[in-house]
Amino acid sequence: MNTIDPRIHQALDGELSPDALPPELQRAIRQVAAAADLLAAPVRGVSVELRVMAEIHRPAPTWARRVARWIVTPHALTFRFRPAWSLAFAAAVAVLTVFAARGGEPQLAEHEGIAQFVGRFPDARSVHVVGSFNDWRAGSIALEDQDHDGVWRATVVLPAGTYEYMFVVDGERWVPDHLADRLVADEFGRENSVVIVRPARR
Amino acid sequence: MRLGLAVVLLAGPLAAQSVQGRLAGRIPSEAVPTVDSLVQVARREALPTEPLVQKALEGGAKQVPGPRIVAAVQVSLSQLRDARDLLLRAGDRPRPQPGEVTTVAWALRRGLPAPVVERVVAALPQPPRAAAMHAVADLVAHRFDPDSAADLIIAAVQDGLQGERLLDVSTAALHEVQRGHTRGDAIAIVRMQLPAVPVAPRPTRSAVARARRPGPPAPP
Repeated sequence: MNTIDPRIHQALDGELSPDALPPELQRAIRQVAAAADLLAAPVRGVSVELRVMAEIHRPAPTWARRVARWIVTPHALTFRFRPAWSLAFAAAVAVLTVFAARGGEPQLAEHEGIAQFVGRFPDARSVHVVGSFNDWRAGSIALEDQDHDGVWRATVVLPAGTYEYMFVVDGERWVPDHLADRLVADEFGRENSVVIVRPARR
Repeated sequence: MRLGLAVVLLAGPLAAQSVQGRLAGRIPSEAVPTVDSLVQVARREALPTEPLVQKALEGGAKQVPGPRIVAAVQVSLSQLRDARDLLLRAGDRPRPQPGEVTTVAWALRRGLPAPVVERVVAALPQPPRAAAMHAVADLVAHRFDPDSAADLIIAAVQDGLQGERLLDVSTAALHEVQRGHTRGDAIAIVRMQLPAVPVAPRPTRSAVARARRPGPPAPP
């Protein structure tokens, strides 16, 4: 920060004649004096009284205009918060986000996995998968052909393990899964397909 | 002591009732007593009983006549006995675990020669051995030499792989065949990769989202 030469103060206070000062200080004193004159001069133009009266007589702005002006005017917002509450709020938001992301999905237990069954049955009206995972009960796991291309699919949550199964087409026709890698004789003159369900959480 | 005795005395009849309850209405009624008696025999011999119940239920679902269901359950009981005897020969003493008996019965049904199964059992003294058996059986089902297939899986175990990771070994060998290698070369390639065979992909999020649990059976 520049300091003002004390001789300038003395000259402005009348304690020292400006003529006794060096030329650069004389120039500075003249600039200061001109600035002081400018501040002391009355403001030109409309007087304060007229400006106040004009403001009083101006019609009140509409509600919409006030809202618009409030929206576009910068405002200083002050938040006062306790860090403990903020952390709790953040944790709650995180938990809700996770649950929302998982909404509708089955929660897999540690020893559960996913089995996907796919079969091509172009003329079928219904296809079910029946096996040792559902006590060979027909009707509990239906395959779907949502795009009507003859390919029937089901994705099922099962406990991890090895299972034998067959497809039941139209409720009466037992068909092995020709896409399965594993087949085993069923002791009834046909072959069962075999699926190994691996735990999804590995 | 009295409570323990009561549990022992009640457990047999209760289990018998539960088996008959599961079979009732699911298989021809004349077959229920015979199948139930076969299940009781298996229980007395400390063999797993669930495979027998499942075989009977399967026959009923497929609308097989009662005598054929009984015959199939008898075959299953015989397979379980063979599996238990094999495990005893291989060193599973004093009594093989029911789950291991089921595993070995599976392996024999899938066409693995008994000596190969014995080798795998002896190489894996600690159960469970299901994944190892299926890995060997998968290879044999794809016309790999049974002894070479067993060698590969035993080598994988010795390299630290266990459980379902052994299925990745057989899958890797099958992939090498699909790439055009002979079966012998495929086994050699995978053996050199051990234990770093690729891991089977986990179910995708979309598959998990689509998955549903089996619902109740449709009314008859």
